[in-house]
Amino acid sequence: MGIKGLTKLLGDYAPSCVQQQELKNYFGRKIAIDASMNIYQFLSAVRAGADNLRNEAGEVTSHLSGLFYRTTRLMELGIMPCYVFDGKPPELKSGELSKRIEARRQAEASAALAKEEGDVEAYEKFNRRVNKVSPEVIEQSKRLLRLMGIPILEAPEEAEAQCASLCKENLVYATASEDMDSLTFGSSKVIRQLWVGATSTAEKKGIHPLEFSLEKALLELNFSYEQFIDLCILCGCDYLDSIRGIGPYKAFNLIRKHGNLEGALEEIKEKHDVPDHFPYDKARELFLKPKVHSPSSVVLEWSPPDEQGIIQMLVHESNFNEDNIRKALKRLAHSKHASSQGRLENFFSIKPKEQQDPSTDKKRKAPVFSPKRNKRR
Amino acid sequence: MVSKEEQNSLSSFQFEARLTQASLIKKILEAIKDLVTDANFDCSPEGLSLQAMDSSHVSLVSMVLHAQGFEMFRCQRAVSLGINLASLTKILKCAGNDDSITLRADEKGDKAEFVFESQSQDRLSEFELKLMDIDSEHLGIPDTKYSAIVEMPSSEYRRICSDLGVMGDTVRISVSKESVKFQVDGDIGKGSVCLHPSSVVDKPTEVVKISLEEPVDMIFSIRYLNYFAKAAPLSDTVTLSLSKDFPLQIEFKFGEQMGYLRYYLAPKID
Repeated sequence: MGIKGLTKLLGDYAPSCVQQQELKNYFGRKIAIDASMNIYQFLSAVRAGADNLRNEAGEVTSHLSGLFYRTTRLMELGIMPCYVFDGKPPELKSGELSKRIEARRQAEASAALAKEEGDVEAYEKFNRRVNKVSPEVIEQSKRLLRLMGIPILEAPEEAEAQCASLCKENLVYATASEDMDSLTFGSSKVIRQLWVGATSTAEKKGIHPLEFSLEKALLELNFSYEQFIDLCILCGCDYLDSIRGIGPYKAFNLIRKHGNLEGALEEIKEKHDVPDHFPYDKARELFLKPKVHSPSSVVLEWSPPDEQGIIQMLVHESNFNEDNIRKALKRLAHSKHASSQGRLENFFSIKPKEQQDPSTDKKRKAPVFSPKRNKRR
Repeated sequence: MVSKEEQNSLSSFQFEARLTQASLIKKILEAIKDLVTDANFDCSPEGLSLQAMDSSHVSLVSMVLHAQGFEMFRCQRAVSLGINLASLTKILKCAGNDDSITLRADEKGDKAEFVFESQSQDRLSEFELKLMDIDSEHLGIPDTKYSAIVEMPSSEYRRICSDLGVMGDTVRISVSKESVKFQVDGDIGKGSVCLHPSSVVDKPTEVVKISLEEPVDMIFSIRYLNYFAKAAPLSDTVTLSLSKDFPLQIEFKFGEQMGYLRYYLAPKID
């Protein structure tokens, strides 16, 4: 998934592009959320150990619960989410997708075997991998979001690409995705862990959103955006087979040395096996000019929730506890106040940084990923 | 008289400053540490200053201590001391209110030294604080002619904020020629406090003064106003400056020539 090892590479070579944020600091921000992946998370990780929540008819409903409560939490903090769903996968992705389908088939088989043998632990382990986001799940999710008054968008192809285009045009502040190729698609800002952070327990556990800035990453890596795409392709993306023996660090050094993918590939060919089918120019094209709805045609509007509709869907159709839903709806209704707070940047301009004399800059930059930011020397 | 070169050679410190009363620094720190966790103390020949935003970028603290306000102030070249305010609080706990305090930083800029001296000069304590590299954005604050300027006792400001804070999250501040009104509308009900300009000026520190270009009516988060109220011990009076669709400025002056602590708060938009 995503770009292999990119997070770690950025952490080492471009530490200032990653910033830990407080969820509540995103008040008033519009954020494009990569929906399919997040819904998938509900069906797998959220209910790990237990069976998925089901309604009377035995249909899975855990995605609805997660989607409802987390969206409410975001709205309550004054964040304005908009959900972007995947469209038809690009052709190049078929290889990766068939691998995933194969993995799922195997998991299904293993789960069935484990169940037969009565090995509960193994059954759960494999069964967790079986979950698939079915078209019904997606439809239900969309219905719920519409009832909540949240804008949703269906991308022609990849959701990350659509998010990135919204981000580039400043229609949204950032893309929220766990997938690092959101950055490759050109999102100016990518927030990870926004979605997992949107629970009451996450903050206590110290899970905070991580904000990646493309501009700062390029500046610190000293790469152009095109070179960055080449780096991502070489690291291993969803669209091409990765090259054995080439990890993120080698990829980084190769692109830095040669300046582009063509030159890097020449050197790699001498020592490593480049897959016969390696249409890197197509992948590059996909990252540079993905199929998206033109941002000018996109209208993002947040409307008041349809409370009756939500009660009908969640309580009457899916057997959720009515009191809990009504309590959450109350919080949702309050959310309008939270987004009205202004920011100082809107009034005061940020002064350009004075060039620092490198010889005096002896204090070391803090490592970004250590859980406790120990910045002292 | 020592020549300049000799003076320089007396100390290896890039920056050295002494205040007669540690209590000032202690109070300043109390007033900002809940809003900001780390901040750069910028030392220049003009004085010591600090500018920092809270993590949500809603409010800003700007502190200036003029060089002439110090008992001794020497700064050869501008240095920036990145300090974790919680750590500094710990160190300042060790200083008595009437102790004198000396702050030093050397060329390398990796640590700052604090020396506390009791008034009778029989007790001397020294502390060293490791510095940090803080990557912070500096905001340019434009010179503004505010529509309404209200001066009131700090204790009154603090009381209004804490009283209204129990009722709701936001306060509407309306200033007219006759009065300044703070209104809150919350879940349990609503309330308001109205102050009129004082007619008799007996005690200058208890005066309410309004100077008005045009009436203003704006909404702010009470939580932040309460953070700012922590600066009340620094000054008897506080000045609120407001303009429509512009951040509120709240100023506490440390007495003539000494310096000031200013807060800015972005308004809420209806």
